[in-house]
Amino acid sequence: MMQAVIDTLNGTPVRAWKGGQGGTPLVFLHGFEQHPGAAPFLSKLAASRPVLAPEHPGFGASGGASEMAGILDLALHYRQWLEPLVAEHGPVDLMGHSLGGMFAAEIAAIFPHLVRRLVLVDAYGLWLDDVPMPDPFVIPAPQLDAAKWADPATWAGAEPNSHDGAAADYVYYRSANLGAASRFMWPIPDRGLSRRLPLIRAQTLVVHGERDGLVPPAYADAFARAIPGARTAIIAKAGHLPMIEQEAAFLDAVGGFLG
Amino acid sequence: MKLHWFAEASYPDLPPDFRASGESSWVTTPISRCEPGVVGDMTRMFIRLMQQADREGFDGLAMNEHHQTPFALTPSPNLLAATLATTTQRAALLIIGDSLALYNPPVRVAEEVAWLDCLSEGRVISGFVFGTPMDTLYCYGVSPTELRERFHEARELIQKAWAAEEPFAFNGKYTKLRYVNLWPRPVQKRPPIWVPGSGSVETWDLALKNDYCYGQLSFSGLHSAKPLVDAWWNYAEENGYQANPYQLAFTQLICCAETDAEAEAKYSEAVKYFYRNRSVHPGFETGPGFRTQKSVQAMAKFAAETNKNLPPEEKARANSGEMDFWDYDKHGFIIAGSPERVRQRIEEMVKQLRVGQLIACLHMGDLDEETAAMNTHLMATRVQPHLRGLWSEFEDRWTPPSVRAAHAAALADTVAQPRKLAGARA
Repeated sequence: MMQAVIDTLNGTPVRAWKGGQGGTPLVFLHGFEQHPGAAPFLSKLAASRPVLAPEHPGFGASGGASEMAGILDLALHYRQWLEPLVAEHGPVDLMGHSLGGMFAAEIAAIFPHLVRRLVLVDAYGLWLDDVPMPDPFVIPAPQLDAAKWADPATWAGAEPNSHDGAAADYVYYRSANLGAASRFMWPIPDRGLSRRLPLIRAQTLVVHGERDGLVPPAYADAFARAIPGARTAIIAKAGHLPMIEQEAAFLDAVGGFLG
Repeated sequence: MKLHWFAEASYPDLPPDFRASGESSWVTTPISRCEPGVVGDMTRMFIRLMQQADREGFDGLAMNEHHQTPFALTPSPNLLAATLATTTQRAALLIIGDSLALYNPPVRVAEEVAWLDCLSEGRVISGFVFGTPMDTLYCYGVSPTELRERFHEARELIQKAWAAEEPFAFNGKYTKLRYVNLWPRPVQKRPPIWVPGSGSVETWDLALKNDYCYGQLSFSGLHSAKPLVDAWWNYAEENGYQANPYQLAFTQLICCAETDAEAEAKYSEAVKYFYRNRSVHPGFETGPGFRTQKSVQAMAKFAAETNKNLPPEEKARANSGEMDFWDYDKHGFIIAGSPERVRQRIEEMVKQLRVGQLIACLHMGDLDEETAAMNTHLMATRVQPHLRGLWSEFEDRWTPPSVRAAHAAALADTVAQPRKLAGARA
């Protein structure tokens, strides 16, 4: 089972869900809306290895958002957070979803010695003029659901998250999360990552929901082209969150790559 | 009391079904709806009306900054101020204001205001505004979590640049300048500074600690503003500041005619146009992290208080342009009628709110120039003389010295000619 643990880094709380043991640790970096909490896919990944899933600065119970003046600050935050883990186990496998995909790619490019294998899931971080993405901060809720899910009727409102306060306060949790995300995504989620992707040395798998309306699948191709030797796995009948919407197919694709 | 002339420079040719079309009136409004010739005509009209207001004795001419919207076609208030600086004589150029976070480097605001102050012989009031979410976050792409920091950093830089006697280096988080050395300096050592707010304690502190004039700039009138304005004055007094009415600016739509019936006939459609066509896509009205949880909760509390006098469904009707003309008046969205009625209603409102700087919106929506000129003339000749002496026991530190002197001279004239005034009233 995944357990939420609050540690302190540079005097600031960092909350992470942790579980599993043995083997190379897998670190999961969550997307722009929210951390998935103790989502089943994390527990299943943790069946055979340690899994650690931290909340980004300013999300949920993690602090330190105001220290993040740019993507380098964020990468350095994770360097400090990862180093004890790497000292103990060697380079980790790093999986980043959505905004977390942008972070994971940056970390792998800037600090290659920390990352063994890299998995990018429906990652933000690039901008293609020919395939403009919708503005995730402005899109009304029904259209957001339609863009996020291949099957919104089943999944809208059923997404796991890390909010542990009163239901009425979810709106503030979400607002704080999106405010933290905006530091890296406003007004366009491109902080120059395309220049750094060729520096990635880790073996990379680019996973993408075939029906992702927030980050269209053309972006998976762009990531795969820019990262040396990267492979691509397109998940059918999945939108922006394939690990939730098509958990079995997702775990299958990732499991084959991570071994 | 000081009286300032203002209008949102609204595009007058939106079709009757614009609101029903569902298009946002801000940020993404189709540019195919905009005829450049119409913008030229309307802007020349606003300039003529403001020149008239100056001749007829208004204390200030107010102009604001908005982007990508037919609601207000004033992308640069400083440009409008420049056209008025050399074609008006007496009134303050009330720039309310420059959206500081949108000028990079923001020393540009210090420069332009100083230059305008030279050109107008010291008549500039410098408004510092955060700007609406639509203007700042969406049209100009500033990150919602950076906007306030950028504003405050710019504010410090501008004031330092006005005051400095020698070149200095400015090493901010967002602006780094090795040599700040303003040419020219303003005529006024430090031009009066105004800041608008929407009820947040942070902005009240900003205004009180820095001796800025605080602007409650909404178009929802007395009933909506009363709880917010009361809270501002209570906060000022609790913190040991004098409740000086001149430190509060308030916007009010005014529709004055010879008779009440004429007012309804001449202004009703324009008032409805004004409210109907401000229909912003809800996604553009705020941004993630733009308001703190504390400020969202405080605003909800004020909204709940205003609901007592103005139920939400009535407010929604008002804001969609569907309210009856006299219901708009009853709730304070507009003050309408004969000069005598308008005078009484303004006096009651400014006394209730302790407003010393009244920003009168004398043109709204698609109003024709002739009616706006009449509105301006009636306000100047039949209303203002009765209100000029209000609050004269207080010191006005928020208008330029030359404007205060002209106001005092006009007041002395009014007092010396009571018979003429009585005649005007009858």
